[in-house]
Amino acid sequence: MAEFNVGRHGVGEVSVLSVAGFLDAHTAPELENAFNGLINDKQYKVVVNFTDLQYISSAGLGVFMAYVETMRENSGDIKFCGLKEDVFNIFDLLGFPLLYEFYKTENEAIEKYNQG
Amino acid sequence: MKANILKDAHNKKLENAIFISVILFIYKIIFPINETIFYLAINELLILVAVFAWVNYVSEFINPKLRKPIALIINTGILNALVFFIISISSWLFAEAENSITNSNVIYVLFSTIIVFVFIGALAYIFSVYKNLCFHRQKKDPSLYFNIMVIFFLLTSLASSFLNPNPTFNDFNVSLSSKNDFIYNALYVVTIVLIFSNSLRVAWIAFLNKKQKLALLAIAIVLTALSWINFSTLSSEDFQLIKNFSPALEELLSLVMIYGGIYFTVIFFTTLFHLPTAEAIDRKSQELTSVTDLSKLMNQVFDFEELSESITDTTIKVSNSDAAWIVIIDNEKFNLHSIVGLGIIDANIISEFLIKNNLLSKSEVNVTDLTMFDSKFKLPKSIKSIVSAPLSVHNKTKGFLFAARKTSRIFEEDDSKPVGTFAGFAAVALENAKLLEESIEKERLEKELDLAREVQYKILPQMNPNYDKLEISSLFVPAFEVGGDYYDFFRIDDKKLGVVIADVSGKGIEAAFIMAEVKGIFASLSRLYQHPKDLLIMANSILENSISKKSFVTAIYGIIDTENDTFNFARAGHSPLIYYDGKAIKRIVPRGMGLGLDYSIKFENTLKEMEIKLNNNDILVLFTDGINESLNEKSEEYGYERLEEIIKSNTNLGVESLSNKIMKSVSTFSMNNSQHDDITLVLFKWNSHKNSNGEE
Repeated sequence: MAEFNVGRHGVGEVSVLSVAGFLDAHTAPELENAFNGLINDKQYKVVVNFTDLQYISSAGLGVFMAYVETMRENSGDIKFCGLKEDVFNIFDLLGFPLLYEFYKTENEAIEKYNQG
Repeated sequence: MKANILKDAHNKKLENAIFISVILFIYKIIFPINETIFYLAINELLILVAVFAWVNYVSEFINPKLRKPIALIINTGILNALVFFIISISSWLFAEAENSITNSNVIYVLFSTIIVFVFIGALAYIFSVYKNLCFHRQKKDPSLYFNIMVIFFLLTSLASSFLNPNPTFNDFNVSLSSKNDFIYNALYVVTIVLIFSNSLRVAWIAFLNKKQKLALLAIAIVLTALSWINFSTLSSEDFQLIKNFSPALEELLSLVMIYGGIYFTVIFFTTLFHLPTAEAIDRKSQELTSVTDLSKLMNQVFDFEELSESITDTTIKVSNSDAAWIVIIDNEKFNLHSIVGLGIIDANIISEFLIKNNLLSKSEVNVTDLTMFDSKFKLPKSIKSIVSAPLSVHNKTKGFLFAARKTSRIFEEDDSKPVGTFAGFAAVALENAKLLEESIEKERLEKELDLAREVQYKILPQMNPNYDKLEISSLFVPAFEVGGDYYDFFRIDDKKLGVVIADVSGKGIEAAFIMAEVKGIFASLSRLYQHPKDLLIMANSILENSISKKSFVTAIYGIIDTENDTFNFARAGHSPLIYYDGKAIKRIVPRGMGLGLDYSIKFENTLKEMEIKLNNNDILVLFTDGINESLNEKSEEYGYERLEEIIKSNTNLGVESLSNKIMKSVSTFSMNNSQHDDITLVLFKWNSHKNSNGEE
């Protein structure tokens, strides 16, 4: 259907994955690859920047559930930031905010890691 | 059919030839000596017609054998040798006899006739071969010049018969003068000139390979010699056998011998001059054959391994190399295929060295001299120089074809160029194999899709249950790919109805199997739990052990109590419930995480159960996100507001009509966009007057 992109950059100890476009059952493997790359590099403190994400399907949500445990076991986490309202609503409806931290900006999320 | 007709014509020619020979034979027995010019004329006519008939027959028999001209020429050589042999034997046998025994001696006549027939046969065969060779591989039709030559052959032969001094009838010879000599000589000279011009037709030599050319060179020497020897012995005064029999035949034979002598001299020199280029021509033609063969193979075989083996084999042959292999680069990994003439380890070292150091061109054929590099790279010593050609598919380099030499002879352009051609073949083969694999994969996915859909249909309820005071409508619209929607009704008792609507994450066969599992869980738990919250907590803990980390299920489970007019429900991460209470539309979203997200106490703590008191005409709408996430052409979502608006303006309708209205609205909205997720819509309307028989 539509394009999906995932970019990666590091800010200190924190790795930021910037997702853009449509994240669904067909594009989810790309995000999985990105997470596998992080685990290979032993980068467990992850911020996912949703600023350019247009749509997320249930398969897309599943990717975070699949990796969060590994991150947390290695004293890291997956934190979300920059979600558009409708994208956040999907997370919210499912109850994600009860399990994951959401921030407005990337800096806030990174800051949270740096505080400890 | 065609073969039969051809055969008949062939047999007819043979019959003619035999017929005329028999007549000639009988004539010769009756009139052994050409006493007068009249007898001589008939004799010569019969001879020439016999020769013509035999040439006509043999010529056709030779034509299909032209593909092997060397064999034909060898046969000619054997016949020439036979002629030589017979002439030698008979000159020796009859040297004395001729003078002492009269020509009318029966034994002599019989013997000479047989020899003459052998000569006619040899002449016909030799001449036919010359004729066919002359016509072989000519661009223009040489028949005009050839036929003129044949006419002059006949004229010269007849001239020699009638105009030359003939010892047999001296009375006739009186009139002979130098004028006749002149006519004969003139005809003879023209014939020789024509022989020369026809001897230049040797185009077929170019098509022979080097080995054949070498053979031809040797044969041409022998045949030139034989032809000239035969010519000289035929015309010598010692050999009178044929001349006595028929002067024209003798002349014709010697002319054909001249023709052979000249023709094979020309062939010898032409072949000699062709020899230096023979190898190059051989290689070109081999290249061409290989390309044709490979093209054929490409249309029959789709297996890359099999094709790549043929490709490396032909690469070695055409480029004169000792080893060849193909490297496919896939995600920076090198896969070596069809290595010929070299060990896999050495091939791997060389490929990695060249590719990783960017020594190869990605657009053209490249020759690298491996001996230039330092021994510290530990390159295999056996390989001296290497040709590489990129395998380009859609302008992307997918790998390389390598050809390597173990001798220090560097690759010339002629050797390296074909490698590029074969790399092109390898690229196409690779692409074909990929396309085939994709189409198989696509077929597999389609089968899987069908199976998933079948599972889904079997899981969904076949009909709506019937309860007092309750109108029920349920609608399911599958997406192209199974989306994991599920709804179900459970009859708890005559007054209570359990209802579930759920959406399994992901798509396809995996979603379908989780769906089947979810159905099992809800069907059994609905009998055990009176409270939706308890049921969902239990369902969540059961799922912990059976679904993968990345899968989850959203659901609403509720119990409609028709006795107490209540709907008691809990929501686990699912889309909101829309409720019309007779006055306004409400979007109800009680707290609750999706099933499978978290298995700690958090799930239980955050899950809220709600109870709605139902009155007449109240409407409950359960749906999956396929409705609100339907997109229009601008990629806008249908959303909740539009859904609520439609319900609001149609609250007076029955559930079926309302359901239709909603679906019509959704499909109108997303008209130009394909439905990418399943749509499920379940409606309940409270009707105090309805009883379970469906009457109001």
